[in-house]
Amino acid sequence: MTLSIPLRRSAVTAARVQTTTFICSQCRHATLLRRPKRPYTFTQLITLSDGSTFTHRTTSPAPVYRSTRDTRNSLLWNPSSSKLMNVEEDEAGRLAAFRAKFGRSWDANTPTEAETNKTAEQTDKEAEAAARAAAEEEEDDNLLDLISSFGQEEEQPSGKKKN
Amino acid sequence: MPASEPSRYLARSLPRAFVPSARPQGFCLRRNVSDQASSKAAPADLNELESATSLSSTTLSEASVKSFDPIARTKTRKKQLPRSRYQFRSPKYDRGPLHPHQPPPPSDPSSRLYVPGPFSLPRVEQTYQSTVASDILTLCYVHNPPGFKPPPKAPRLRSWDDSSPYHKNRPLRGPRGGDVLRLLRKPINFNNVPELERITIHSYVKQAAQENSSWLHVAGMAVQAISNARVETFKSKTSVATWSIAPGRDTVAVKAELRGEDMLHFFGKLVDVVMPRIKDWEGVKGSSGDSSGNITFGLEPENVALFPEIEVNYDMYPPKMIPGCHITIHTSAKTDKDARLLLSAMGIPFYGKMVD
Repeated sequence: MTLSIPLRRSAVTAARVQTTTFICSQCRHATLLRRPKRPYTFTQLITLSDGSTFTHRTTSPAPVYRSTRDTRNSLLWNPSSSKLMNVEEDEAGRLAAFRAKFGRSWDANTPTEAETNKTAEQTDKEAEAAARAAAEEEEDDNLLDLISSFGQEEEQPSGKKKN
Repeated sequence: MPASEPSRYLARSLPRAFVPSARPQGFCLRRNVSDQASSKAAPADLNELESATSLSSTTLSEASVKSFDPIARTKTRKKQLPRSRYQFRSPKYDRGPLHPHQPPPPSDPSSRLYVPGPFSLPRVEQTYQSTVASDILTLCYVHNPPGFKPPPKAPRLRSWDDSSPYHKNRPLRGPRGGDVLRLLRKPINFNNVPELERITIHSYVKQAAQENSSWLHVAGMAVQAISNARVETFKSKTSVATWSIAPGRDTVAVKAELRGEDMLHFFGKLVDVVMPRIKDWEGVKGSSGDSSGNITFGLEPENVALFPEIEVNYDMYPPKMIPGCHITIHTSAKTDKDARLLLSAMGIPFYGKMVD
């Protein structure tokens, strides 16, 4: 008994020491509570290259920022965009002239811009027309079905009953 | 006291000298409710009361009604009215937990540490809430059929095999193949979808030690301009003999830590405006990251100059002193893979081999 009691006491005190979180009991100095300093910010409207806009807070005083190069027209963010892929600067038409003169075996299969535009437009128009026709047909069918089924539904059960 | 009770009524009519009193009539500042002073004061108070009842409505004259224009009156006032007489002011110093005068918590508007805000709902936050979070939740979904029990994993900290008597009372062993205990990755749930926690912009300016402190000032101003936050300066911890930098002597680095609204505005600006304009940039390297969900990349000085805040006032900064910086994006993801998933969904491109 005499041995066990001091042992227990020591264990209890050890546990207490571990659980305390109060570290600095004798802090005599006072710490200055500094007011946080924040730079002045303005609200700025950012206009992306495709015309979309958003506002953000910034230290720059300019009210509007127009970006010429951003996620909407850079290749890294639009890897599948054909418009951004072939950046062939041919303002004077020299490359086109060269091709006309010396042939274009290496890129004969790729259509020129006008062709692609035309073909794209044509295909679009064709697709639209086909879709319209299909939709009209479907509507007609649906209406016809409705009309025909309206009478039939009433007739069929009655016929069954009769049978 | 009960003995002097009947004399209260006498006291009103009689002059003070004649009033019989149990107490000695000396110079006494102590006063009771039953004292003469209080009993005398009562009728005086009642005289101040209005005789008319306030329930009956009073009719105002037309002129006084027309002349009543509080807005015009406040506009004619040249100075502001003084504030209310009592206003709580937080103590300037924190004098410890045992001091009776405690400063209010920093969330209290009267606290000296109070930072107001947020004032806007940033675009990045809206994008995250509307699309990114649900996308990540879907991508990280792992289906477990009902009744599925995950195979038991070995404990992260191994116990010692008791092959030696010296193994007794040793702390547990670290994981196999290195001493680093990685973060536990819990399955991603609706309530632990990774999100941006904070962004650290850090810039180490070696010329601040070699030449003069103007490099550090310019770096601080530039970082503050792009981040909307005050910067902290740091002294070198290591010695770099070739740059003549000694530990603890030279102030060489500048850091801004962004959280909340500032962080989201900075992130949006970085991704939408600055990154696409960097010349010949492939993206952030896929192997970057500290394997616990924080991803770092660097910007060269010419890339830092692309920020709209620096561009708008480019002449303010000496061109050769514009600093490069390291930007660390701390996410709440536990692995780099999740962090990269989050950041690529938010618009940061990655290239090369992805190291998870």
